[in-house]
Amino acid sequence: MVATVERAAAVAPVRRRAPMRRRQARTALAFLAPALLFFALLFFYPLLRELYTSVFTGPRADVYAGLGNYTKAFDDPVARHAFWVTVQYGLGVVVGAIVLGLVLAVILNQRMRGRSVFRGILLVPYLTSIAIVGLLWRNILDPDTGILNRVLHSVGLPTQNLLAEHPLATLVAVAIWQQVGYTTVLFLAGLQGIPELYYEAAEVDGASVWRRFRHVTLPLLAPTTLFVSVIGVISAMQEFALPYLVTQGGPDNASDLYVYQVWKTAFGFRDFGYASALSYLLLIVILVLSLVQLKVGQRGES
Amino acid sequence: MVERDSRKPDPTPRAGWTRRGVFGSAAALGVGALAACGGNAPSEGGGSGDKTFTLYWNAGHGYAAYTKLIKKFESDHGITVNWQKFQWPDLQTKLAADMQSGQVADLVEDDGSGWPLSYAATGDAYPLDEFIAKDGEKIGYPNDWQANALRNSRYQGKTYGIPLHLTCNLLFYNKTMFAAAGIKQPPSDWDEFLATARKLTRGDQYGVALNSDPGYLSPWMLQNGVRYWDPATKKVMTPVPQAIEAMRFQHDLIYRYKVSPAPSATADYEGPEKLFVAKRAAMMLSGPWDFAPIKKTAPDLDYGLALPLERSVRATNFAGSGVFIPAKAKHKDLAWDLIKRLTALDVENAVTRETGVTMPRKTWAKQSWVQDDKQVGAVARALAYGTSWPNGIDATGKAPQLDDTLRSAYQSTIVKNGDPAAAVRNFRSAATKLVGG
Repeated sequence: MVATVERAAAVAPVRRRAPMRRRQARTALAFLAPALLFFALLFFYPLLRELYTSVFTGPRADVYAGLGNYTKAFDDPVARHAFWVTVQYGLGVVVGAIVLGLVLAVILNQRMRGRSVFRGILLVPYLTSIAIVGLLWRNILDPDTGILNRVLHSVGLPTQNLLAEHPLATLVAVAIWQQVGYTTVLFLAGLQGIPELYYEAAEVDGASVWRRFRHVTLPLLAPTTLFVSVIGVISAMQEFALPYLVTQGGPDNASDLYVYQVWKTAFGFRDFGYASALSYLLLIVILVLSLVQLKVGQRGES
Repeated sequence: MVERDSRKPDPTPRAGWTRRGVFGSAAALGVGALAACGGNAPSEGGGSGDKTFTLYWNAGHGYAAYTKLIKKFESDHGITVNWQKFQWPDLQTKLAADMQSGQVADLVEDDGSGWPLSYAATGDAYPLDEFIAKDGEKIGYPNDWQANALRNSRYQGKTYGIPLHLTCNLLFYNKTMFAAAGIKQPPSDWDEFLATARKLTRGDQYGVALNSDPGYLSPWMLQNGVRYWDPATKKVMTPVPQAIEAMRFQHDLIYRYKVSPAPSATADYEGPEKLFVAKRAAMMLSGPWDFAPIKKTAPDLDYGLALPLERSVRATNFAGSGVFIPAKAKHKDLAWDLIKRLTALDVENAVTRETGVTMPRKTWAKQSWVQDDKQVGAVARALAYGTSWPNGIDATGKAPQLDDTLRSAYQSTIVKNGDPAAAVRNFRSAATKLVGG
């Protein structure tokens, strides 16, 4: 009898746990199902479909081209130009947003009146629709009817025609203006996570403000900087709305960013196969860049 | 005790079933919602889809006259018209996606530059010849349509589109500024135009405002005898010396004579109109599409309309719009019926009276009320000098690439002060790679 009870006790948990695990698995699956369905239908299927389309050509993407679209991209001066413009744009936006965001975060991390208000104001451009941001700056910078030239003229300063003379730099500046609030908030969170103890210890050791920033703040902000730069590069390489809304890639293709070129290829020139191949090449570039950034970041942290 | 309790079967099995039920319902709803994402897509045949007619239209052309007509069309056929309106670039994007997916509208308004030919070349537009053979005489097509306006409708001997509106570029001038400068007549040729613009340029005021949109390059080219596309020789932008001269003239207006501001390098082509209504530019090249904005923003502006300028020939480019039926449209007969209604003379008259938009019918242009109207009459007279700038280039299937290349070349000299000769040569070199010649 005792032996029977012991045997039963030995097997009972196994018998009882299995249905519990199955139930848990079913519940988990049920919870995950909408998300899985969503991603499968709206992300993974289109991704695979795009990969399939990338080996076809023609206005209906029904002529098999093998890897022709991929090799064409390397010889295409328009695609190469758009890629180079995008690299410059990405570098400008990521470096600019990180530097400016860090400076603003350090300032807003000090005890000062109205700090919360400033933090809130800084986030407004980031929370504003890119369509509104694009149209806003297009109207501000218009050399003939824009408000900026009216202000410059009224105070006796020479007027600007930035969108004609420095279109790419102007788009970079607009993008930094929009994104800097977000990077500031991230750096602020990072700064607030650094224990005060480190600064006190450095101060006791006689470290100047700059040395404390250089040797305490910057190293401890490395994870935040890594996150901001990875997200920034991904976002900048995929920028479409600003050139579409503000410059249409002009003048003379000076602000012809890569994804805008992909869009033109697909919907303007009706070459969905080539546009799909261009998209996949960008995906590879972004993946490589992100991996390199993560590796460099991990090495820095270690 | 606690352990034993924890090993009890789930005391609330109904909760599990309910959760499952909820997720099942949610999944079904999710799929349903995803299916409904295609709500804006044209309906499939069968079921209630047969009762829906999808019409793609320009966002600025939803006139009251058309609204009334479409209501009548709906009640006559017992159908619902899904009338979707887009700006031209968005409509072009939508069409490209539709053609790719095979889910197309029943009738589409095009921008008059030759979309039907582009789609005909890929088998995506439906030939209208059977309809025209049946009804052409009754509705006056093609004899009552201005002949030049039909050049962007035919591909390999078949008709794929019907012109709906026919407008053109002409010279807008500020009468008050002209009077203040002692100028009695608007200029008639390029030399007079330059002299007039120089007289009118003073302080913040410019004689003229040129546009950054390459569409506004065409009148100058046509006036100098340049063709964008010559179907016989398969060459673009010929003769070249005249093309360079026309490009240089515009460049010089801005950078040599400084009678026009450098056009804004934005996606906005309304810069000249804004300067004109702000009385900072005395002249601009535009068309009837600017009547309503001017009336709205500067109702008291006293301006006149002059005939297109002359160089080797007095000429201007046609603008406007047309309609075509996609090859996979579900309701082709209904689409043709709607085309007949849209192009009827009484509807054309109603639209012109409502908006000032001008029309392609010869009988429309001959009406005394059209001729006597200060604005509409001026455009109607200018239409006599109109010609098609694309000239059937869409049949090459490379028109979007060519237009994009031309935009780049035009901006390189007009916006960026580059060499006009290099701009034309670069354009021709890139164009030759696309279409040969």
